[in-house]
Amino acid sequence: MLRALAAAPVVVLAGQAHARDYSSAAEVLDEIDRLEADLDRRLARVAAAGAFAASVHADHERHRRERTVLRRRLGPPASPAPAAPAPLAPIDVESLRTVAQDLVHAHAEGLPALGDAAAVDTLARHMVVDARHLAIIQMWGEAEEQRG
Amino acid sequence: MVATARAAGVAGPALAALTGGKALARTEETDLEILSAALLLEHHAIALYGHGLKLALFPPGLRAYATEFRGDHQGHRDTQIAIMEERGAAAPVARDDYDFAHAPAGDDFVRLALEIEVAAQRAYTGLISHIRTSDYLLSAAFILIDEVRHMTVWQRVLGLRIY
Repeated sequence: MLRALAAAPVVVLAGQAHARDYSSAAEVLDEIDRLEADLDRRLARVAAAGAFAASVHADHERHRRERTVLRRRLGPPASPAPAAPAPLAPIDVESLRTVAQDLVHAHAEGLPALGDAAAVDTLARHMVVDARHLAIIQMWGEAEEQRG
Repeated sequence: MVATARAAGVAGPALAALTGGKALARTEETDLEILSAALLLEHHAIALYGHGLKLALFPPGLRAYATEFRGDHQGHRDTQIAIMEERGAAAPVARDDYDFAHAPAGDDFVRLALEIEVAAQRAYTGLISHIRTSDYLLSAAFILIDEVRHMTVWQRVLGLRIY
């Protein structure tokens, strides 16, 4: 990561001081699994986000199926069963935004570790969908701010 | 999308790849082709936003978004110029014949902005897997995230479906 950060333009990565350096495709896929499940779980608790949460969940289900195919092809071992999730603090838009952003960044930062053009294409397309979810949550937060 | 890419000046192998006509090998030359195509789209977007802001063509209340997005595109431009120069290549400059003279105001101008954002998003999405080097791949990924935000905001403003 240090090499990438050094080479990557400051403008683009200015907000990514904590950017993660993934060492393998398995590590990338595991982190995406974790963050995706976290976001789904949080969104499911927001009654006002019902239709959006269902849409996000459906997208994530499709992404999970496609990542399963990727895992089989790239050969990383299957993820261990996820640990029981910690109890969730009260949900607010900011915490949703943080997890959604972490999920999008995990895709972006994970691409260089994949080492496979088809896998990059698949995860980049997933990232586009997740970035759209993030943009919607950001607009939601902006609307809340304006309402005070 | 292809029409917008053409209007921005995108040509050659990158345009062929976008139209599905040619598979690009993952080489340094391909990285430079993609950088050039991306830069032309960024130049086009900066010019369009600049025109809209200068002539107050964005609907009232949306100038802040337009200003933010123009700033993002300027950042993307500078980033990619720096990458090209670091590799010893000459970056393409902005065209001097953008024709926005008859650009409409209001929601119709937002539609023009949306068009260039959709073109940029699709171009980066379509080309990203052909990028060879980790530094540019990472930069392109973060640029793509910005393009998706721009596109989603304009789609919502125009009442289009966003999920």
